[in-house]
Amino acid sequence: MTFKAFIFGLLGTFGIPWLLVVVIPYSTMRTPVPVQYEEGSQLSGAFIPSREGRITEGSKIYGQEGCYQCHTQIIRPTYAGNDVHRGEWAGLRKGPDVKVDTRRETIADDFQQEKVAHIGQSRVGPDLSNFGRRLAHYLKANKSELTSEEWILMHLYHPSDLPGYKDGAKPYDSACPSKGGLFNEIEVFGAGSGTLPVNIKAGRGVKPTDRARALASYLLSLKKDTLGNPLPEALNYNTEAPVSDK
Amino acid sequence: MAETTSTAESSDVALRSSIDRSLRHPVMFFFSSGAVWLALAIVLGLVASAKKHSPEFLSYFSWLDAGKVDAAHMSAMIYGWGFQAAFGMIIWLMARLSRKECTAAGTILWAGHVWNAVVFYGVIRIMMGEGSGIAWMEFPGEVWPVLLLCYAAITIWSLIQFQVRDAGHVFVSQWYLLAGLLWFPWIALTAWMFVFVFDGGHPLMVTGIAAWFKATLFFLFFLPTALASAYYLAPKVTGRPVYSYNIALFGFWSLAFFGPWAGMQRLMGAPIPQFLPYAGAASMVLILIPAIAVGYNVIKTVMVSREVVAESPSLRFTVSGILAFIAFGVLSMLLHTVPSMKMTQFSYSGYGLDILGIYGVFSLCAFGAIYFIVPRITRREWLSRRFITWHFYFSLYGVLAIVTCAIIGGMSQGQGIEDLSQPFSTMAGRASQFGWGVTLAWGCLLFANLSFCLHLLLMWARLGRRSSHPTLLKGHSVGNPHGPEGEIDNYTSASV
Repeated sequence: MTFKAFIFGLLGTFGIPWLLVVVIPYSTMRTPVPVQYEEGSQLSGAFIPSREGRITEGSKIYGQEGCYQCHTQIIRPTYAGNDVHRGEWAGLRKGPDVKVDTRRETIADDFQQEKVAHIGQSRVGPDLSNFGRRLAHYLKANKSELTSEEWILMHLYHPSDLPGYKDGAKPYDSACPSKGGLFNEIEVFGAGSGTLPVNIKAGRGVKPTDRARALASYLLSLKKDTLGNPLPEALNYNTEAPVSDK
Repeated sequence: MAETTSTAESSDVALRSSIDRSLRHPVMFFFSSGAVWLALAIVLGLVASAKKHSPEFLSYFSWLDAGKVDAAHMSAMIYGWGFQAAFGMIIWLMARLSRKECTAAGTILWAGHVWNAVVFYGVIRIMMGEGSGIAWMEFPGEVWPVLLLCYAAITIWSLIQFQVRDAGHVFVSQWYLLAGLLWFPWIALTAWMFVFVFDGGHPLMVTGIAAWFKATLFFLFFLPTALASAYYLAPKVTGRPVYSYNIALFGFWSLAFFGPWAGMQRLMGAPIPQFLPYAGAASMVLILIPAIAVGYNVIKTVMVSREVVAESPSLRFTVSGILAFIAFGVLSMLLHTVPSMKMTQFSYSGYGLDILGIYGVFSLCAFGAIYFIVPRITRREWLSRRFITWHFYFSLYGVLAIVTCAIIGGMSQGQGIEDLSQPFSTMAGRASQFGWGVTLAWGCLLFANLSFCLHLLLMWARLGRRSSHPTLLKGHSVGNPHGPEGEIDNYTSASV
């Protein structure tokens, strides 16, 4: 093996995968074709994810705080996993107060406005693809007095103290560590101080920082359903799906 | 660690010792600061693992929050320990194999200090919640160009040494070193440009390219460095030639062929071009081929003199590292088939495989190299057989326990998520039991590495034994080729 052959060998064995795996897919994905709604559905034209809030900033904080270490944001097609059928991860199921089954897989447009797609490392905690919709649904079903934002801020402050969103009587069973660093303890004089409804010491309250609010806003924007309007690329809701956990 | 010098020309001995002297400061600096980073990374790993099953653990310190501490743990392990150990190995091995003294020790030492400062800065920023939030690339954007410049300032001299070497046979280790030296800047520059510099890329491709960086960083930088050291030490310590040149050639080129495709299996099922995750998974399966080729070749080389493997700390660690590489190949194949990907993609098992790669394969080989190189550059022998034995057994036990717990726990966790008849909390409970195992195993590794770190720092302070007898792990007074034990100043004897 001469030195020249060696260098050409390296160029070939590395350069080809480099082009095929990195450079070409990156350039083709830069200009994705917008997904169009199916003919005959209530909505028409291109799909735009129904997300609002401080998505770009919140997504950055989500990464900085390392949420992706334990939470994923992807609903895989069934060839790669059962995510679509797990609870309300992929969208709401048809039920007494839900008219249409809105579950679907993740599509590329779901990550609009984010710098990085937080696919995630492992599922120590549940998938968050549909977290915003899921939370609002449960709070409503349980006639909770908390708003979605209050609930998620209290969860970030001290997860295991929170009343369960599934069963109001039972404490919420969470193994999620606290993100106390996103909150300040302040002195409280009367109402209207913007503190969370948690009791610490008399005269003291817990106030979320801007980072906590941006993160909460981002988490609540995670609504990967299309209100029952099927998308040709990612349709995977199935009324005959196996029954999942309660 | 018996180096066969009896037949070598005295000029040869003089050349080797002058190469060793020219490199002693940078190499010792990289090894010792790397060892300190490793101890720190293990402490952080312990905290990160404990938080997975006991969320209240140390929750008072917000800079040690779960999530951030995981990122700091991996970054300290890879950039603090991994790279510095690799730098020490690369510059020493390349100088010895090209038979050229290092003329830029000062520059290398400076770049090494900058590297340490930048890694420290990056880890602090991660803990302050100002990292990038991209797995294995968590340092903030401005860190990467500085790291790349330091890399260039440290390794360019090895390329030059190779270029100006006296013509002759190029040894297997040199292929790996040269390839690793050229692959890494390409990989790192690509990852940095596509992830941090270019604007307007699709968020999924940014994640995908970071995943590709993570996989190729191991396959095409850490692995080649470890294998270069194994191919150097196995024949050197046993005094036998490498078993088969053709198998070595095959092992090298199969790694070069399969390695660069790996990584995007992390995005299986994501809406990216579908061949990307499959190419990644295929590459992870096929990595078994170079693992078997290299494993067979190195094991065949050392097995003719088994007692040397038992005696020599360098060979013991190296052979364990090579066995870990075979285990890595087998597990990587089993965990990346299409049915098992469903269970392993988002479970602890990926972490188990990462640790097997970084600690099991790379670090064990690096320890082997360190036990060989340090006595040569400090001209002192290792102080304590007991420290080395502790380091060996606790490392082996720790890494085996982490890999077993993480992979079995991960499979059961993944199976639990797939099984729709079980609520999510069942799987969370399963994962946390194995999480305890991982935490205890990090405790073992911490003990192992504290004894290693202490031992290395004593050597750094030139407190090693002044003796011509290498520190071997078994008694050998009768018939010792080095003659009777005694205080010999080998500084003068070797530079005859």
